[in-house]
Amino acid sequence: MSRLNSIKELDKLSKEILSGKDPKRKCITVCGGTGCIAYGSPNVVDAFKKELKQQKLEDKVDILVTGCHGFCERGPLVVIRPEGIFYQRIKPENIHEIIKDTVIDGKILDHLLYTDPITGEKIVYEHEVPFYKKQVRLVFGNNGFIEPTSITDYIGIGGYSALAKVLSGMTPEKVIDIVKKSGLRGRGGGGFPTGVKWESCRKAEGDVRYVLCNADEGDPGAYMDRSVLEGNPHSVLEGMIIGAYAIGSHEGYIYVRQEYPLAVKHFGIALEKTREYGLLGKNILGSGFDFDITINRGGGAFVCGESTALMASIEGNPGEPRAKHVHTVEKGLWDRPSNLNNVETWANVPLIINKGWEWYSKIGTEKSKGTKIFSLVGKVNNTGLVEIPMGMTLREVVYDIGGGIRGGKNFKAVQTGGPSGGVIPESLLDLPVDFERLTEAGSMMGSGGMIVMDDSNCMVDIAKYFINFLKDESCGKCTPCRQGLIQMHQILTDICQGQGVIEDLALLDKLCWIVSETSLCQLGATAPNPVLTTIRYFRDEYQAHIIDRKCPGGVCKELIHYFVDEERCVSLGHGCGACRRSCPQQAISGEKNQLHRIDQNKCNKCGICLDTCKFEAIILE
Amino acid sequence: MKRIGIFVCHCGINIAGVIDVKRAAEELSSYPGVEFSTDYIYMCSEPGQILVRDTIREKKLDGVVVAACSPTLHELTFRTASRLAGLNPYQCEIANIREQCSWVHADKEKAFQKALKIIKSTIEKVKYNESLEPISVPVNRRALVIGGGIAGIQAALDIANSGYETLLVERQPSIGGHMIQLSETFPTLDCSQCILTPKMVEAGQHPKIKLFTYSEIEEIGGYIGNFKVKIRKKARSIDEEACTGCGECMVACPVRNEPQIQPIPKYSEQIEPGELKILDRIMAAYAPTNPGVPGKEMLIQILQDVNLEYHYLPDYTLKYISERLQLPLSVVYHVATFYTAFSLKPRGEHLIRVCMGTACHARGSPRVLEELERQLEIPRGETTPDLQFTLETVNCLGCCALGPVVMVDSNYHSITANKVGGLLKKYSKS
Repeated sequence: MSRLNSIKELDKLSKEILSGKDPKRKCITVCGGTGCIAYGSPNVVDAFKKELKQQKLEDKVDILVTGCHGFCERGPLVVIRPEGIFYQRIKPENIHEIIKDTVIDGKILDHLLYTDPITGEKIVYEHEVPFYKKQVRLVFGNNGFIEPTSITDYIGIGGYSALAKVLSGMTPEKVIDIVKKSGLRGRGGGGFPTGVKWESCRKAEGDVRYVLCNADEGDPGAYMDRSVLEGNPHSVLEGMIIGAYAIGSHEGYIYVRQEYPLAVKHFGIALEKTREYGLLGKNILGSGFDFDITINRGGGAFVCGESTALMASIEGNPGEPRAKHVHTVEKGLWDRPSNLNNVETWANVPLIINKGWEWYSKIGTEKSKGTKIFSLVGKVNNTGLVEIPMGMTLREVVYDIGGGIRGGKNFKAVQTGGPSGGVIPESLLDLPVDFERLTEAGSMMGSGGMIVMDDSNCMVDIAKYFINFLKDESCGKCTPCRQGLIQMHQILTDICQGQGVIEDLALLDKLCWIVSETSLCQLGATAPNPVLTTIRYFRDEYQAHIIDRKCPGGVCKELIHYFVDEERCVSLGHGCGACRRSCPQQAISGEKNQLHRIDQNKCNKCGICLDTCKFEAIILE
Repeated sequence: MKRIGIFVCHCGINIAGVIDVKRAAEELSSYPGVEFSTDYIYMCSEPGQILVRDTIREKKLDGVVVAACSPTLHELTFRTASRLAGLNPYQCEIANIREQCSWVHADKEKAFQKALKIIKSTIEKVKYNESLEPISVPVNRRALVIGGGIAGIQAALDIANSGYETLLVERQPSIGGHMIQLSETFPTLDCSQCILTPKMVEAGQHPKIKLFTYSEIEEIGGYIGNFKVKIRKKARSIDEEACTGCGECMVACPVRNEPQIQPIPKYSEQIEPGELKILDRIMAAYAPTNPGVPGKEMLIQILQDVNLEYHYLPDYTLKYISERLQLPLSVVYHVATFYTAFSLKPRGEHLIRVCMGTACHARGSPRVLEELERQLEIPRGETTPDLQFTLETVNCLGCCALGPVVMVDSNYHSITANKVGGLLKKYSKS
């Protein structure tokens, strides 16, 4: 492929690609996101290839290995287009019948369809699946239609037309104006207006400016950035080029977690291809604008998601934040003006340019515009990535999209915003999801993790989990964060071990206040949120640990006991002995056909018996 | 063989809260030479002392070890108790298992082992103890302070201000020491000169302090109260009485005292050529313009690749990288130890990474981790002795739908605690 030297050439190419497409041509899309890979989608792809070869259909049917579709719960996912027939949990042995019956004869295979857990109905088409139905998949939707590493696929769906629009006569000020008016806010968690940030970076003093992309997705339980980068790297790239043009930058960096090798690989290929096509590098599309991007692999430190720490890390230093008396838009990377945005923010930019700020600003709530991708995970039926317009209520997300709680248990809370966020209880389920409302509830948007918890989760344990996480990830530069978190963790550990006293709650409250007021960066400032919100909404659980010495969730080892339900063990299980054989402590005794018992002195509360017993004869108290 | 009695004190919960004192007393009862061993809640209390006294008489002990607090507190108490029971007080020794043992250790088992060691070594000492009688000797009421740094100066001033004649010996031509090299001091950030120089002047002018600068101790003899010290006063070849310390002679002298900085060792010469090739190849990828010399900002990226190559960062690679990048080794170590992606210890053939993300945590990943630790018999972050498995945790693997997730090498597994055995079997050699 030769270099594209002008916008006209790009238009021509895009038209060629479109006219070369046959809308009726059969195409089998297989999800190649990390979740589906883990479920074995590479084997499915191989089986498809083999089967097509055997049936001599290679020329008639395409196979498309795409990025993440979002519905990771039911992976590996296969969609037969153009009809959009949706098959789930596919194994290599299903391939023969899919090709024979569905692809050749057009028959639907009932047993591979998704069953709505609420209505029990079989669902044939992708767009009818309740998980997708309520979503508005602006950023994420294209993942299912393109091969992530193919630049022509991206151009074929209108990719780089936003860049062309910008370069064909829009002034940088005009671009900034559009982004400002669209109301786009930073998707990394802080929610700072993107256009305003761009403007201040453009106006900052200095010759060299940097455009940076934060793909150090450190929040545990959030993986939307990974899926966007793996599934549609060009959308991020296009956003960055547009941003660079608006800001007046010629050099960019993307900081990616090393735990995401596939994202690094796909973005790397995307960079190579765009350079080859003249969309990146010197004289982009003949416009005279130069811009290039370097990939920087992070070393696995949560604090590097913080802007100053991230920049320190790009400079090759340990990722320790600095106090932000001077903003990074003025003095950031190598003390030069630097504009840092998150992956999802960049991916929103081409959309806004293409469809206009008027269109974009109609989506969402008064102050939070557009859509946001959440990773809906935890104890919910449909785990996966969901993209929703701002302002949708948590109830809609958890119950309509998420399909409710697993195993018929009761909803207890949803945790948003990662370690810096908080938990939101059932009473606030009708809260519309946007930046302001989540902050009011004591939590935050964060990068978009949404972890659903049921009544078998212990909220004190969750608070301890986050504090432990942050204690390990604190860089250690400032004292309140380093020492305060250690002390908070100690108090929470005491409570979980049944050694808490009621004064601990007041002490925690005070510590939280000190840590949040006096820490150097946002890691420390927001660190107490998980503790504060759990105390605020689940004080009764703390009291149960401290006063009754009981863990209502059945999680805290020192406060729980496992018992055998005598009735069920004998009458249902006939003393099967599975628990006895699996017990690593040899704490269970009993003859075949007889009642089994657990020796409380030997039991180390690992819970393996509970998992092993098929008759629900093990009780946790 | 002596007949030694062991008395282990609980000190309330000060000792007993960490160290299992009953088990200690029990285990020591079979130690060679030990005739009797017991524990008591407060050994220094009246009933405790009576216990010591009565036991000495009853069991006819001729050596006593009290395992308790620091000897500065109760050595006298127990020696008196021994004397009252008719035992020479110098046959009684204190094993301090509180200050540097129970108070400072969190790991109870290790603290217990340490306490046993301390007590056993004290028993061995008592075996050699001889019965002594106190005698009186005259004491020379003068003090000698060796080293004229800030600590030495302050010590000399304190002693001199209490009215004793003090000698301050310093090897360098001037007192002052290393402190003067610091720009500021913790926690007040005062400049170190501002603290140090007034004290130097005070020590120099103090009527009770005699300075011996440019002098060294040659010999120390004698004993507490009556030391005999030989000081070598080096020749200055300058009339000290007339010298004002103006420093003009230093400027005028044509011979310069060049700073003796040792050349940085060439690590590249100590590395095998094959290894050198690998490292050079990695670094060349980050040095497009200046062959072989990547920019300092590429450090993390280079370490990433070395880590991929060797699964950890061998010590020599860090040294070589510091040499090529012209970065101090301390900076390279700072980065290598800051990020969790890097390991300085060799890792096993299979790297097991347990996801500790929130979604996995909520679905029970701590139980999976504990089961892995139990079956592999290593704590997280460690490698099995046969170098087969390394067990690590990771903040989030980004496939929350599968939780709890364990990643072995590059494969993802969605497992619960009861399936850990099967997973390990799949990867182990035999």
